[in-house]
Amino acid sequence: MNTFMRWAGILVVIFIAAPLVIVVPMSFSSANSLQFPPPGYWFGYYRAYFTNPDWLIPTWNSVIIATATTILTMVLVVPATFALVRHKFRGKSAADVMMLMPLAVPHIVMAVGYYSYFGDLGLVHSHLGVILAHTCLSVPIAFLVLSANLKGFDRNLERAAQSLGASPTRTFIHITLPILRPGLIISALFAFVQSFDETVVAIFISGRDAATLPRKMFDSIRQEADPVIAVISTLLFLLVMVGIAAPYFASALRSRAPKPSRPPAGAH
Amino acid sequence: MTSYLELSKITKTYGNFTALDNVSLSVEKGEFVTFLGPSGSGKTTTLMIIAGFEKASGGAVQVGGRSITELAPHERNIGIVFQNYALFPHKTAVENVYFPLQMRGVGRDQGLRQAEDMLSLVGLKGFGHRHPKELSGGQQQRVALARALVFEPSLLLLDEPLGALDKNLREQMQIEIKRIQRSLGVTTIFVTHDQSEAMSMSDRIVVFEKGRIEQCAAPLDIYHRPQTSFVAAFIGESNLIPATIGSAAGKTAENPTLGAFDYAASDNVLSDGQAVTLLIRPEHIKLSRNPIEGRQNIRMTVETIVNYGDNALVIGRAGDIPMRVRVLGADVVIIREGQECCISWTPESVFVITK
Repeated sequence: MNTFMRWAGILVVIFIAAPLVIVVPMSFSSANSLQFPPPGYWFGYYRAYFTNPDWLIPTWNSVIIATATTILTMVLVVPATFALVRHKFRGKSAADVMMLMPLAVPHIVMAVGYYSYFGDLGLVHSHLGVILAHTCLSVPIAFLVLSANLKGFDRNLERAAQSLGASPTRTFIHITLPILRPGLIISALFAFVQSFDETVVAIFISGRDAATLPRKMFDSIRQEADPVIAVISTLLFLLVMVGIAAPYFASALRSRAPKPSRPPAGAH
Repeated sequence: MTSYLELSKITKTYGNFTALDNVSLSVEKGEFVTFLGPSGSGKTTTLMIIAGFEKASGGAVQVGGRSITELAPHERNIGIVFQNYALFPHKTAVENVYFPLQMRGVGRDQGLRQAEDMLSLVGLKGFGHRHPKELSGGQQQRVALARALVFEPSLLLLDEPLGALDKNLREQMQIEIKRIQRSLGVTTIFVTHDQSEAMSMSDRIVVFEKGRIEQCAAPLDIYHRPQTSFVAAFIGESNLIPATIGSAAGKTAENPTLGAFDYAASDNVLSDGQAVTLLIRPEHIKLSRNPIEGRQNIRMTVETIVNYGDNALVIGRAGDIPMRVRVLGADVVIIREGQECCISWTPESVFVITK
C-alpha cells in the first residue's frame, strides 16, 4: 500500500510538472514558432521579451492593475472582515453571502456583465475598469483567507493589551495588526495573484490600452504562437518558485544566526 | 469609611437571563479574595465587570474611593492574568512585560530594565529573550503574572490562572502567587472553581451560585460554619441530614430515621419545629465495630471503601440516609464492605444550617 501510494504520488507530480518540462526548453528554442522538441537553443526570445514594448506594456499594465487591485481589495476587505467576523448585526448573513457571491458566478458571466455595464459607464478599455472588475473577483478570496485567520485570533490578547493600558487604537497597532500580519500578507498575495492571473474578464474589457499580460499572451497564441509566451511562462514560474522558497530560506538563515539575547544595557 | 474595592448592587442581565443579581462586596487593601463557584455561577462575569470588559446592567464599582464604573478597560489600571495567559506571541517575554510600561510612556531602556527586574521577582531571570512558545506552561504563567504586576496596578485579577497546569506545578504556583502577592501587597481577586485552591490561598472566599453571593467569609469559617446547604455541599465533603428542631432550648434536632441529636451551637436563632439541615463533616465521624459508650451510636451498612493510602473514605447507609466517613488509613482494616458498623459523633461536630 505504501509503495503504491508513493508511486501514485510520483505519477501525480510528473503529470503536474509535465508542462514545465515542455515550456522551459521551448523558451530557449530557436524555432520561430512554438515547437517541441526545439530544433536549436538560443536566448533570442528572452531578448525579445525584454525589449519589445508589445510585451513590456502589457506586463507593466498587469503589475499596475494587480497592485491597485490588491490595495483596493485590502481597503475593502480588512474592515469588512472585522465587521463580519466579530460583530452581530441585522443583515449579517446576507452581507456574508454578498461577499462570496463573485466566487459563485462564472467569470464569463461576470465578464459579459462588465462588458455591457462598463460600456455604458465608459470604463471599458481603461485601467480603472479592469481594476474595479478584478477587485470584485479578489474580494471573496481575500475575505476567505483573512476571516479564517481572524476567527482563530484569541481575543483575550486584545483584552490583555487593554487591561495593560493600551487604548483600542494602540491595541490594534501593537497587538492585532502584528499578530495578523501573516494572514494579511497571504490574503493580499492571493488578491494580487488573482488579478495578475485573470484572463476572461481582461479579454472582454481591457482593450488595447489596458491589455494585461495574460490577455496579450492569449492574443499572441491565437495569432502567431510567438515563443515569447514560453519565456513569460518560464519567468512567471521562476517568480513563483522564488516567492515560495523565500520564507524557507529566511527562516533557515534566522535559525542559523545566533539567537539575539538583548538584556538592556547595564540591567544587573 | 468605604473599603478599597467596593462592588455595590451589581446586576447583569442578558435578555431575560440574570447572570448577576445584586452582588455587593467590600475588599480591603492588600486582601486576597477568591471568587469560588461552579461554572455559570457569575464569578467570571463579576471579574469581567471589575476589569471593564463587561458592562454591568446596574450598580457601581469603586476602587480607592473613586468610581471606575464608566472607565474603559485601559483607563482602569487593573492587572489581569487570563486562564490561557494571553501572552503576546510576537513579543519576547521581557517585551511582554515591558508592554504596559511602554503604554505608560516609559522609555525603552528603563522599561526593559524594570521588566527584567520583574521577571527576576517571579523567578524567570535569564528567560527574557525567549518567545512565549519557547516557554513551559508554568513559565508562561509567571510571565503573565509579571506583566500584570509590573505597572503597579491598583488591583490584580486572576481568572482561573492555574487551570491549565498539572497538579504538582499548580501547587507550586499557588505558593508562588501567594508569595509574590504578599511581597507586593497588591489587592487580589482570584477566580477559581477549585475549592482546595481557594482554601489554601485566600484571606476570604466569596462563594457564588446562580448569580448571587451565597457566603463571603474566611476559609475556615466557610468550611466550619457554612450559611447555606449549597456552601456546605460545595466546599469539602459533607453529610447533610434533613431534620427538624426538637427543642431549641435543649439544643436537639430530630431526623425521622436516625432519631434525635444534640447540637452544640448555631449561628442562627432557632425555634421549635423549624426545618433545618444538619452538617456533619466526614472526618468528624467516628467509625467503630461496636457501640462506643457515652456516645449516641448509629448503625451503618458499609457499601464502598475508597482507599487513599493515608486515609480512606467509607461510604455507607444509615437507614435510608447515605453517609460518608473519613477514617485514617490504619483504622480501615477493622471493617469490610457489606458489613455493619457503628458511627458516632459529638454534639460539637453538628452544625445547624437554616437555608
